[in-house]
Amino acid sequence: MLSRKSCLNSVLIVFTLFPVLAMAAVIRSVDEQTALVSWKINEGDFELQLTQLLPDQTRAFFLARGFSKQIANSIATSCIMQIIGRNRAQQGMPGSIDVDLKLWRMLHNGMERPLKLKQQWDSEWPDDKVSDAARLAFRWATFPTRQNFSSGDFGWGMTSFGLVPGERFDLKVVWSAAGTRKDAWIRGIQCAEER
Amino acid sequence: MMRQVTIQWMLLLLLSWSAFAYSEQSLTPYKGAQPAPDFELVDVDGDKHRLSDYRGKPLIINFWATWCPPCREEMPSMNRAWSKVKDDVSMLAINVGEDEDTIFIFSADYPIDFPVLLDRSGDVIREWPVKGLPTTFVLDREGNIRYMAVGAREWDDDALLEIVKGL
Repeated sequence: MLSRKSCLNSVLIVFTLFPVLAMAAVIRSVDEQTALVSWKINEGDFELQLTQLLPDQTRAFFLARGFSKQIANSIATSCIMQIIGRNRAQQGMPGSIDVDLKLWRMLHNGMERPLKLKQQWDSEWPDDKVSDAARLAFRWATFPTRQNFSSGDFGWGMTSFGLVPGERFDLKVVWSAAGTRKDAWIRGIQCAEER
Repeated sequence: MMRQVTIQWMLLLLLSWSAFAYSEQSLTPYKGAQPAPDFELVDVDGDKHRLSDYRGKPLIINFWATWCPPCREEMPSMNRAWSKVKDDVSMLAINVGEDEDTIFIFSADYPIDFPVLLDRSGDVIREWPVKGLPTTFVLDREGNIRYMAVGAREWDDDALLEIVKGL
């Protein structure tokens, strides 16, 4: 509730994106208590919110799940953000929404590239360095690589963009609504800085 | 210090998630009422629970974790739902990857009066069609999956519980 209020009070900047790329508007908001930035897309029944996470908070979370300091730090300083996706359709309305993070692209310093997904992180960790319990927590705390949202469904989780704190990038969000592929760019996303 | 930062982190995510929350309740009919994968798990007291033993009543099964903000958000409504329908409906909460002590600490703030089972290895959740937490399934009296819900719901909603009781 506090956050809802603070979101309403926060500065809203609406960017109209290039019509060739997308019809969706992006709403940028700053939480007045935490000063963390969120970006939200609403298009049709699809709603997606991306919110900064502080490296220190992410570091503490993964340390508490059993990761070593070194690995928790490497995750925390890789531009982790929280994603929440939702299908706003009324119950009983046809049309599910599919999200596949493998299709998303980020644009950084003129280079377009895919996201660093949970499968890639997992494959980088030697068996003897990360416990099964820690891997399990990482798997379920991160946004599903592929997710299907029926009417009323929510999904949430962390996602890594593989950049150092403070870096900026653009993100191409891709989803399918009732089988029709759609996309939208979110411009000027900034990874949270160390505080 | 680390515990404090973790709590702050969870609070931040919970507030952020709450701002996004949404009051409408909905359950997605499951494709073709398929039999649920059976399992045997222990609860926080060490007692064994086998899924097939729950046939005869509709059953709500919730996959969750204490660190998952929407799981924390919906757990009080699940407990209220339990107090409303415990004579007619069974409920199980399957915690993914955590231990009894963690759940004990959690339950001081979020009381849970129905069985909490421990899927420490994640073997059970792997057998179910779960992509993210929380995900909840509603089974009919014969043990078939009839509905699922991805993300949190207000489980004590009377209209929703009537659907469950009718299965």
